[in-house]
Amino acid sequence: MLRLSNLSKYFGGVRAVDALELNVKTGEIFGLIGPNGSGKSTTVNLVCGIFGPTSGSIELDGVDLKRQAPHQRIDAGVSRTFQNIRLFDDLTVWQNLWVAWRDAPGQEHSWFSNWFGRSLSRRHEIQKLLEFSGLGDKSNNLAGNLAFGEQRRLELARAMASKPKLILLDEPAAGMSSAEVTDLRQRILTMKEMGITVLLIEHVMELVMNVSDRIGVLNFGTLIAEGLPEEIQNNPLVQKAYFGSSENTSGGDTNAIDQ
Amino acid sequence: MDFVQTNIDGLLAGSAYALLALGFSLVFGIMRQINLAYGSSLLVGAALAVWLEPILGLGVVGLFLLTVVACVLAGLYVERLCFAPNRGKTGATVPMIASFAIWMQLDEVSSHLLPSRTHNFPGLEIPPMFFGDLYLRGDQIVQFVVAFTSIAALYYLIYKTRFGLLLRATAGNAETAFLLGAPTGRLRLMTFLLAGFLGGISTFLILSADGQVTPLFGLWSTFKGLIAMMIGGVGSLPGAVIGGLLLGLIEAHSSTQFGAEYRDITTFGILFLILIIRPGGIMGVSAYRTGRLAQERI
Repeated sequence: MLRLSNLSKYFGGVRAVDALELNVKTGEIFGLIGPNGSGKSTTVNLVCGIFGPTSGSIELDGVDLKRQAPHQRIDAGVSRTFQNIRLFDDLTVWQNLWVAWRDAPGQEHSWFSNWFGRSLSRRHEIQKLLEFSGLGDKSNNLAGNLAFGEQRRLELARAMASKPKLILLDEPAAGMSSAEVTDLRQRILTMKEMGITVLLIEHVMELVMNVSDRIGVLNFGTLIAEGLPEEIQNNPLVQKAYFGSSENTSGGDTNAIDQ
Repeated sequence: MDFVQTNIDGLLAGSAYALLALGFSLVFGIMRQINLAYGSSLLVGAALAVWLEPILGLGVVGLFLLTVVACVLAGLYVERLCFAPNRGKTGATVPMIASFAIWMQLDEVSSHLLPSRTHNFPGLEIPPMFFGDLYLRGDQIVQFVVAFTSIAALYYLIYKTRFGLLLRATAGNAETAFLLGAPTGRLRLMTFLLAGFLGGISTFLILSADGQVTPLFGLWSTFKGLIAMMIGGVGSLPGAVIGGLLLGLIEAHSSTQFGAEYRDITTFGILFLILIIRPGGIMGVSAYRTGRLAQERI
């Protein structure tokens, strides 16, 4: 589904992403981990088009995204959440979803209705998103007045309002309590059941290890390992990247992971 | 009775100021940028309309439509030239200075179109009305009604449609709105066209009430619009309406109390007091926050 080939992004002399090869399959939850500064957020920003790559290609279902503007990538089915919550604080919960709204393919409304319509026909579907986020009774609250966990859930729902095929979650569990992480895990699994492919960037191992189908590990902008969660956990290269040592060099099946 | 008459005069004049202030507030509220060329783009719109009308021979309704279209086109010109090229690259200062240069340019164009000091601007020939001792000019009543119809339509557009919602989202956080797929470039352009549209309406109303257009109209409308916006609340749309009406009332009362020559000094004195007590203008917190945001950008 999402294929990054030989993708590089240099900021001056810094190689934030360096010849990255990554392949996310349709319908899976792919966890992308790595130490701070390893290029995870840069990768997300490249996929959603905040900046263009220095070289390489980004393909979604065979369509080259590289030359597309951010709004075209949303139409193509890419959506995201932000590492720092970025809601419209002065708009209500409901309005935050309505801003990001895209009609499902094949059910598009007219141009006029999109600009000047009152959204009555979409009300039912927006209500479903509110229920997904557990904010059904707060649809008229200002987003800026919500609690932290609620704001995180609203961001998830807003990312889904554009009917994405692929969602990029940029550290959705940052600052969450353990109970909230469990709740988030459930919601990510619900997304998967709805047929959405998830690229999850996360530091909270409790979440990544429990929810991901496959995990990739970035360090210095390249993928140093890729595999099932248990394989990644035992990979000495990964431990070295995270802890600066390789105590466990004898164990782990690096061949299976490095491919 | 004089007191009531003064209030009525003030509110009637203030309704036109409110439209001018809305033009500034739309641009400032959504883009956090001041368009200093707004007044002169209205002058050039009026000049074009007055220049073209006798050639085409369309009458007063034609003149109205010409003025509105010419003001919208002038707004488009200013946006393309000063604001679009600097989008996202610089702070608020560069477009503001660029708009000052365009101000000079548009004033020059207008004085070539209308070389004489004053030029006739056909008015609406509506007889005045009398209610007991109260005297109401017909064209000013039309001005008031048209102004408030426009304000109501703008309110509907901004607060009740998705177009307005996207504008407000862009005002709140342009970068996030862009990343969520809002066509922020087009929305900014639409803001200018909308400001030009409202400005065109107010230009026609003001000039037809005066019966003439002078080269000073650009400067005059920039001043009235900016002052009304600052009184009401920088970047706040309800504030622009309140500020405009209040400016009309202040001017009417100071003229009758102290004489016309003290009108402007009273206005600036009251503006001074308001800015000391509420630095963001009357419309409270949100407008004040907008002001702070703008400072951060500069």
